[in-house]
Amino acid sequence: MAAAAPSVFLLMVNGQVESAQFPEYDDLYCKYCFVYGQDWAPTAGLEEGISQITSKSQDARRALVWNFPIDVTFKSTNPYGWPQIVLSVYGPDVFGNDVVRGYGAVHVPLSPGRHKKTIPMFVPESTSKLQKFTSWFMGRRPEYTDPKVVAQGEGREGKGSPPWAGWAW
Amino acid sequence: MAEVHVIGQIMGATGFSESSLLCKWGVHTGAAWKLLSGVREGQTQVDTPQIGDMAYWSHPIDLHFATKGLQGWPRLHLQVWSQDSFGRCQLAGYGFCHVPSSPGTHQLDCPTWRPLGSWREQLARAFVGGGPQLLHGDAIYSGADRYRLHTTSGGTVHLELSLLLRHFDRYGVEC
Repeated sequence: MAAAAPSVFLLMVNGQVESAQFPEYDDLYCKYCFVYGQDWAPTAGLEEGISQITSKSQDARRALVWNFPIDVTFKSTNPYGWPQIVLSVYGPDVFGNDVVRGYGAVHVPLSPGRHKKTIPMFVPESTSKLQKFTSWFMGRRPEYTDPKVVAQGEGREGKGSPPWAGWAW
Repeated sequence: MAEVHVIGQIMGATGFSESSLLCKWGVHTGAAWKLLSGVREGQTQVDTPQIGDMAYWSHPIDLHFATKGLQGWPRLHLQVWSQDSFGRCQLAGYGFCHVPSSPGTHQLDCPTWRPLGSWREQLARAFVGGGPQLLHGDAIYSGADRYRLHTTSGGTVHLELSLLLRHFDRYGVEC
């Protein structure tokens, strides 16, 4: 029996990075990007973006609102490598340097329809106390050179990371 | 051959008395199953909750299986360990759950347990650390020989898994 030709399917993702809750930090912006397998390719829209800087509202909610649009279409022949959206949130520290406040990743939902996802954020933590102090003082926190590693499963052993910051959704 | 895609995350864990937790996970399948893409096992990072008591790992799982039969449907087994400030690891719990068999997105809560040991071992674990562990990991997901164990409960691991099934109707399986 002849093998069926691989069939291409499209995945359209529309949405927004709505807002975040970070009890300890303010004046934050977020970057998003997509991580996907080899059989996937974006065909339309933007696969990365940087939002505006937002400050906490004065009311009781203390919400950080971005309302940042996400609009991208992928094409693929295989569900393996289903796209994940990786979010990185940055903000100023006490000395005015831009430091990372959280990383998070989640798979794009697999079923059609409207979904609301709350993504816990975490930051990598240095293991030695001296390093923690030095990084606080110098404004150079441990940061991932490529945020896309957050979406990968391999190589996570040996990395300590408190979900320091909060949640973005 | 029928195909199964398991795509999701090990979100995190709650209810453990220890903090700074990591999870070693693996997927066990029967002989008729073949892993086409993805890694069958892995280890999350160590996570220390700062807000609330849930340790979040958000560890992605993406597996593509092909199978000739339903026997040996995939089972996800977990070992949760805690790491102290000196870098030593201590067992916090073992758990397993079957991968769901209906397509769609599922929230799973997997309870865990750990071997108790004699009162001497319990005392030593409280003061010095360590404690009994299983010699062979298959007791985590198999029922044979469990009657020999005396265990206590650990916390719960939370997972979100989405299932995509393909070609099952060709074999007369409705899903």
